[in-house]
Amino acid sequence: MSRARKIGNIVSGVGHVGFITFVLFGGLFTSRPDPVEVREASMISGEEFAALVEASRQPVVEAEEPAPAAPEVTADAPEVDLGVQEPVAAPIQDVAEPAEEPVEELAPQISEAAPERPEAPAEVAVEDAPVDETPVERPAEVVAPEPAPRPEPDVVQDPAPQEAVIPEETGETVEQPQEATAAPEATDRTVTEAAEAPASSPTASLRPPARRPSAPQPTQTVETPVTPAPSENVVDDAAVQAALEAALSSSATNTVPTGPPMSSGEKDALRLAVQGCWNVDPGARWAQTTVTVLMSMTQDGKVVASSLRMIASEGGDASTANAAFGAARRAILLCQKDGYPLPPEKYGQWQEIEMTFNPERMRIR
Amino acid sequence: MCLALVCAFVAASGAQAQQGPLQITIEEGIIKPLPFAVPDFQAETGEAGQLAGDLSRVIAADLQGTGVFREIPSSAFIANYSDFNAPVSFPDWKAVNAQALVTGAVSVNGTSVNVKFRVYDVVSGTNIGEGLQFSGTTDGWRRMAHKVADEVYSRITGEGGYFDSRVVYVSETGPKDKRQKRLAIMDYDGANVRFLTDSSAIVLAPRFSPNGDRVLYTSYESGFPRIYVLDVGSVQRRVLESAEGTMSFAPRFSPSGNTVVYSLSQGGNTDIYTMDIGSGQSVRLTNTPAIETAPSYSPDGTQIVFESDRSGSPQLYIMSAGGGEARRISFGDGRYGTPVWSPRGDLIAFTKQTSGRFHIGVMRTDGSEERLLTASFLDEGPTWSPNGRVIMFTRETQGEGGASSLYSVDITGRVLRQVDTPEGGSDPSWSPLQQ
Repeated sequence: MSRARKIGNIVSGVGHVGFITFVLFGGLFTSRPDPVEVREASMISGEEFAALVEASRQPVVEAEEPAPAAPEVTADAPEVDLGVQEPVAAPIQDVAEPAEEPVEELAPQISEAAPERPEAPAEVAVEDAPVDETPVERPAEVVAPEPAPRPEPDVVQDPAPQEAVIPEETGETVEQPQEATAAPEATDRTVTEAAEAPASSPTASLRPPARRPSAPQPTQTVETPVTPAPSENVVDDAAVQAALEAALSSSATNTVPTGPPMSSGEKDALRLAVQGCWNVDPGARWAQTTVTVLMSMTQDGKVVASSLRMIASEGGDASTANAAFGAARRAILLCQKDGYPLPPEKYGQWQEIEMTFNPERMRIR
Repeated sequence: MCLALVCAFVAASGAQAQQGPLQITIEEGIIKPLPFAVPDFQAETGEAGQLAGDLSRVIAADLQGTGVFREIPSSAFIANYSDFNAPVSFPDWKAVNAQALVTGAVSVNGTSVNVKFRVYDVVSGTNIGEGLQFSGTTDGWRRMAHKVADEVYSRITGEGGYFDSRVVYVSETGPKDKRQKRLAIMDYDGANVRFLTDSSAIVLAPRFSPNGDRVLYTSYESGFPRIYVLDVGSVQRRVLESAEGTMSFAPRFSPSGNTVVYSLSQGGNTDIYTMDIGSGQSVRLTNTPAIETAPSYSPDGTQIVFESDRSGSPQLYIMSAGGGEARRISFGDGRYGTPVWSPRGDLIAFTKQTSGRFHIGVMRTDGSEERLLTASFLDEGPTWSPNGRVIMFTRETQGEGGASSLYSVDITGRVLRQVDTPEGGSDPSWSPLQQ
């Protein structure tokens, strides 16, 4: 073999090996930017972090509440209670009104009328909002018998809308929607997360983060008013607070346990648990329809009822799809009991479940 | 080294595959009636007390009779239902295992009745659809109950109901060798029976028109079988003319209601014809030496299924509505007859005789997936409910004292019931839902 030929073979061999290696493993070395982490690093400076740590040692009650998601939680205030009851009563009133009106009476014929349009009575019927259980007062939460003294006038640095929320008359300092407010005034009550009214708002707010290492503990009684801060500090605090929240939420997201992949046994356990309640009517038209349902889960294996929704259907029309979805929803909710048997250490994998109900095998043949 | 890299690659791919929701597929379930509760409707006026209870009972009976639902007796109720406008206490209904709940209120003003109701999914604690109300007269209260039941059934199952419908049939009295027959019409559940003819002549095979306003039937009034059209409202009738020396029978309306398909026997040969009701013009669809009878249109009116013994024994065939080549769809053992196309269009019900027993069965329109739903000494003459879910038929008992009566069976074959009639009954024909 000539030298030139040897060189050619070597070059060819090296080229092929390099190409195959690139094809096989090139993807492993592709960088995967993590936008979240990059963004956070640019937001918090050393001073800010120090301020954060300092601020986090303050018992800031507002930091506990996921502000936008749970306005109904402020059910302590009497006026909010009314607000809670309204949607309950409203649709029923609506139904009653047209019913009073004489509907057209066609002597021997039955006339059909869509009398009332109870706007979204489904919301009324949401399981966690029975009217009877709406509390009016929570005396057990009183910590200090007297309302705290009002803060100095210059303490209130809030934007205008916030003033309507200041509970001067009630003496209560409950969840204020504006977290950028200066530290809360004296309060005579402690509102813990556990004591809050059951949230009827959907999804995210219902799932607390697994761990919040630096989250302030609001359960301590606030004996003295927080020292009013200068106005520029308030602004800084707001920024720091926002940064802290973002950091915390990012941290919380990352701390959801994922664990190893779900085993087939674990999946089968869930499947068996649900199918025991999936009641199929094999003669119905909806038994020709396959529906896929998406739902969010809490860490104790329970379904967030308000998250249940049909994301796909195949076969049949809209009415059969709705009927099939109804049967699927009943199955999911009926059989959950105290929570589905799912491994908590893998919560990250089943915090959302996409369940397909295919009645193919149940059809009559 | 390479192996490690490959393993890392596979692991990375696996980790990526776990992104997104956990996916589970459910393919097995249970089959049992859905428990429901219908507390007595609220009486909003003093006169409505009795009616409120009666309406509730009819609604519950309708739903329970389907076999799809199971009523929870009122003795098990925890919740005290007395106010239609009060919020529903779902935990109380969950506690008695109710999965569906129907509440309502009734008011009576003179002879007019107003019924309003709501349907709830107890498990999810939500309404199923919106509130609805019907108004009518006191003597039509059963229809109102049936309409409420239809709506409830429809909301839960996603398909139409069949409770606000009627059945025309041949009412029979007397011993077998001297049986008196007359046409009768009743609610689907056997209530409100009314006779349309007297028993002076033998009558057979009544068939409703597509909108339920007319009935075709065969009568031996002239000594030979002839087809009549009877107006249900006025009980006026007229004969459909046919040639002298012929016998016409087994009529059935086309889906448009303008044409009748029937059998005509002439010179010992029986074939299938159509007749335009308005003009009286006839068209011959089959022309074979075999006996071809019991024609029935497909819901879209493009095809006709019928019975023929052209192969040597009675079997089922399908041909175009305009006639022409027919294809056989039944191939099982035994004799097939009286085919009827389902309103859904997917099934054909039939009578089958095999091994000395009669059966009511269904098969796909291509003849596949044949299933026998009943078995007895004599079952025959199936007719479909308006939603294609239930079949009513005639069952005759054995022996000299044998009598005919009406039965219904759902297409799963699980729910078989006798229909209450004041006398014996045969040849039922189910009307469409009333307007």
